[in-house]
Amino acid sequence: MKHLTIAFLALSMLVSAPALAQDPAALNDLEIAHVAYTADNIDIRYAHLALALTDSPEVRKFAETMISDHEAVNAAALKLLDKLGASAQDNFLSQTLNTNAEAIINDLAARRGADFDRAYAANELAYHKAVNNLVEATFIPNIENAEVKALFKQGLEIFRVHEGHAEMMVKAVQ
Amino acid sequence: MPDIKRRTFLTAAMAGSIAAASGALPAHARKSIVHDIGIRRFKFVPRELDVRVGDVVRWTNFDLSPHTATADDGGFDTGTLEQGQSGSIEITGSTSRTYFCAFHPHMKAKLNVS
Repeated sequence: MKHLTIAFLALSMLVSAPALAQDPAALNDLEIAHVAYTADNIDIRYAHLALALTDSPEVRKFAETMISDHEAVNAAALKLLDKLGASAQDNFLSQTLNTNAEAIINDLAARRGADFDRAYAANELAYHKAVNNLVEATFIPNIENAEVKALFKQGLEIFRVHEGHAEMMVKAVQ
Repeated sequence: MPDIKRRTFLTAAMAGSIAAASGALPAHARKSIVHDIGIRRFKFVPRELDVRVGDVVRWTNFDLSPHTATADDGGFDTGTLEQGQSGSIEITGSTSRTYFCAFHPHMKAKLNVS
């Protein structure tokens, strides 16, 4: 049941905005871009950890997809920022995500075998749900730049697919 | 935008059965057609396509996510197609082929080969 604790941590830290001292809805476009870039990189780190620790073909395939998709989104984000002549801005939410990710990675890294697979799958599902809800309900409505907004809509479409894939993985590793 | 990045060929088990049958035109007597399949929003479009031996099928990825077109039985694989890239196969045998995206296995489609 420990993996549920991790999933809950991932979820609660993202969705319980009122618990944060600052409001995600108040972030500007460049701060939102930084959060998204950070969230992508965190999932890539989880995936690399999975590739190092699991023997499950299903989990390995999922992890490889996370790396290729999140790297593609990040590359598109950097290209757009370059085109706009802007840089993403670090902020409290990116920092919170990174802090939480360290705790989750430490926990996952101590697991092996089926225990790791279940924890990784549960965390991926919770993480994608949380990020997707944040992107859909808070970020997209608040993004001002049309191109940035369009990229986030594309990203959300991809991450919804990941959420569905993670749901299947959770069932498969039970 | 890169054009055809990879060109693989349906090999296989099916190669021998090209139109030696009575009255049928041999495959080389008919001009081959290039069929385009788009990969958009995690779907192969069209999802099902009728093709003939000698035709070429070309997939182009319009999504941000990398995709592949990979035969269920491993008979062909475009390899990874980044956004804007294309990959082709030449149909060399007559059978129906189902395929999927190796990164996103829920993406499935079919070639009906005659």
